[in-house]
Amino acid sequence: MIQATKNYLRFLKRCGRIAFVGDWRYYTWMGALTVVCLLGLNAYCKQFAHGLITTGMSDEVSWGVYIANFTFLVGVAAAAVMMVIPVYIYNNEELHDLVIFGELLAVAAIIMCLMFVTVDLGRPDRFWHLIPGIGQFNFPASMLSWDVLVLNGYLVLNVHICGYLLYCRYQKKTPAKWFYVPFVFIAIVWAISIHTVTAFLYVGLGGRPFWNSSIVGPRFLASAFTAGPALIILAIQVVRRVTALTPKSHTVGPVAGQAPSTAAQRPANGSDFDLLTGLLPALKSVPAAVRHEILPSLNVLEVKAGDVLLRQGETDEHSFFVLTGRVVVERFESGRHRVTRSAGPGEQFGEVSALAGTPRMATAIAEEPTQVLRLPAEALRKLMKSPAMNKVVHARMSERLMLTDRALMTLRSIVQVSMLINVFLLVNEVFKEFYSGNLHSISAKYLFVGLHGHHALVPWIWTAIALNLIAMVLLVLPVSRSLKWLNLTCVLCIVGIWIEKGMGLVIPGFIPTPLGAIIEYTPSVNEALICFGIWAFGLLCYTLFLRMAVPILQGRLSSANDGWSDEQIAASFLGTPAKP
Amino acid sequence: MRKPNPDMSALPATATEKSVNRRSFLRTSAVLTTGLAALAASLKPLMEMEDFPTAERFLQKYYKEMTPDDMAKVLKRISTEVEQQYGLRPHVRDYKPMDGVEFVYCLNLTRCIGCRKCVHACVAENNQSRTPEIQYIRVLKMPHGSLDIEKAEHNYDAEQVPEKGFFYMPVQCQQCKNPPCVKVCPVHATWQETDGITVIDYDWCIGCRYCEAACPYWARRFNFTKPAIPKERLNPEMSYLGNRPRRQGVMEKCHFCIQRTRQGKYPACLEVCPAGARKFGNVLDPNSEVSYILRTKRVFIQLKEEMGTSPRFFYYFDV
Repeated sequence: MIQATKNYLRFLKRCGRIAFVGDWRYYTWMGALTVVCLLGLNAYCKQFAHGLITTGMSDEVSWGVYIANFTFLVGVAAAAVMMVIPVYIYNNEELHDLVIFGELLAVAAIIMCLMFVTVDLGRPDRFWHLIPGIGQFNFPASMLSWDVLVLNGYLVLNVHICGYLLYCRYQKKTPAKWFYVPFVFIAIVWAISIHTVTAFLYVGLGGRPFWNSSIVGPRFLASAFTAGPALIILAIQVVRRVTALTPKSHTVGPVAGQAPSTAAQRPANGSDFDLLTGLLPALKSVPAAVRHEILPSLNVLEVKAGDVLLRQGETDEHSFFVLTGRVVVERFESGRHRVTRSAGPGEQFGEVSALAGTPRMATAIAEEPTQVLRLPAEALRKLMKSPAMNKVVHARMSERLMLTDRALMTLRSIVQVSMLINVFLLVNEVFKEFYSGNLHSISAKYLFVGLHGHHALVPWIWTAIALNLIAMVLLVLPVSRSLKWLNLTCVLCIVGIWIEKGMGLVIPGFIPTPLGAIIEYTPSVNEALICFGIWAFGLLCYTLFLRMAVPILQGRLSSANDGWSDEQIAASFLGTPAKP
Repeated sequence: MRKPNPDMSALPATATEKSVNRRSFLRTSAVLTTGLAALAASLKPLMEMEDFPTAERFLQKYYKEMTPDDMAKVLKRISTEVEQQYGLRPHVRDYKPMDGVEFVYCLNLTRCIGCRKCVHACVAENNQSRTPEIQYIRVLKMPHGSLDIEKAEHNYDAEQVPEKGFFYMPVQCQQCKNPPCVKVCPVHATWQETDGITVIDYDWCIGCRYCEAACPYWARRFNFTKPAIPKERLNPEMSYLGNRPRRQGVMEKCHFCIQRTRQGKYPACLEVCPAGARKFGNVLDPNSEVSYILRTKRVFIQLKEEMGTSPRFFYYFDV
């Protein structure tokens, strides 16, 4: 127990240390975000001291950009987790490696949501009145009390799932299914519920006809499913860019015509097998007869640092176990090399292609003088007849960080379908508001064409509609299969939906007032600074999460290499000696 | 004890190491100092805060959970605070609803002349903020023949009222039987009392303004900053759920002058009305004026009846 706690604290400490290691781009980015955060904090202190009069809000328009951002971000948080559906329900392999990124984004988004509601409160010092049991919690009558529960519950669920999976990966342990899979399924239902509850916050108000419409919930989900995955695509693109190895730092790559390294090779003997059994206890469950049967087909390769053990794109039937030393696996895609896995003693590599008989997905290079046990796919299959071995090999197959183009394309199709549905629902809404032409459509009139000379939101909503339509067309056309166009499309989606859902939904609900007065709203500078500050804080959190998660997923930051320096974990390191 | 190293070639290495250590230490402390200074600078506006909540106020109990002793202490503290701020010892009480009473307001639209005297009497009675201005009553100038609120004019500024071709409709909290504001409040800071008045515990409200969004009558007001009332204008007759001075960041609204009506007096807006357009009383008493009006008038209007809020505020015409 004490040891487990110590290990966990060690894990946290190492994660914390790695957060401070990076190149100049990382420091610039984090420094800039910190500055914006502090500006936001300063603006919030002003608001705290002088009240919400520092914002553009009034008794007429009593919610503004804070609640608009809150609404948008609840959608992002919900959609980020909904990506686990293809993985856990339809077993989509491509997206598997993205799940953690989605969940971490959900955590960051929920943190921002909670901050946005907090800054919107007139009396943040009385937050404890909201805590069930201590305060007075108006549950289930108030939709806001539902929101408090579902948002905090969602935060806890996602922190648990991400934290547990990452810690297991760090420990190189197979995660216990019962300890996270049920929570994943709860999180799926919960994700829908957080966004539905947020929609009900508006839908439930009979006095605001603009909101009091049953289509708001479905529209929220559709727009969330567009903006959420679009944000993840951008985040993944950034991760792919920053985790790419610079041309200088990798000495070998899948250059055509380069011969595979000639390694010292010898047939394996019983003691090699015993050495591996020591590192991989599951091997004990393999019957002696099977061992004897496969032993003649096994070889031990002794290679020096920088030697290539297998090469991306080639087809052969071998898989490998590391006996001593360390092997780094890197994949070349879209013009860049990226570390997908780092295998130490007792760990496997090359097994996925060997078993499937498909071309190699990545290149494996020895990072230090290394001994590996090479076995043909047939021998591995025989080993895997033992259930314990089967479990270990299968579990480790997914221990990699492979952000493929195909995964991004899967996300693209999610964004594509959601955007079509989103635009369709918008058309429904606009038709209902304008065709019947009754008095209740007055807010919509204000939003889309202006009312009695007031039209502050008109340019905004038409910008949003234009962005959404352009994004929709781009998504439908094959041009968005190119990653650069996809990035642009995602930006259009996010901005379009932010305006449509934030400013375009929250503000017109208040205009005109229930007594027919038209008072317009423009956020104040102080208010905008607070918003930027919160966004910067959210991005800061997400960057930190990724900074810690990426080396863990790559296998660089693990309990096995406790002695490594931060630079060794963080840097791209081929050709450098691994152990100090 | 380490022996002095005879090999002099080792010295430069140690020196470099030391200078590297010193450099990284200096760098770390420089970053740390800058960070702390920036943080302190960001927090500076907090110094401008006048009304920092004391522990006592921070931990104050919810109205419905206070014992009479708790309430006595709180009322005493409020008196002291008001005295410190306004230099005037107020008389703060916690008036409870009377048994067998349900208050109802009736407003005669034929009589109302749109003079807005009720608005100002209300502000004076209920210690509303003068800067920024908070008013509970909004008088709407409506064109003849329509009850369509979209056609209402809020900021009419005529030399003389009433103007020809218009009628006037004052709107304030309708004290709904089915109040949307109470339903949406996440912390039970607003509720309906047995005499039909929806009240707010100003010391419990968290200022989320959900009730303000929910109210179909735009009856609720928020203290966007610290309310300012000139000392000489303060009404010292105060009640806990009624007209005691509010703080920054909380909601308030019309409470049928709880400090008056629960003592058997009329609300301030009624007393000041020069046209006799306002009638107020106990609907459970068959002999009250409001009971008579509701019994005898052929048409009376509950504003936005289709909302299902069932207001205790009735508009009628002399027909």
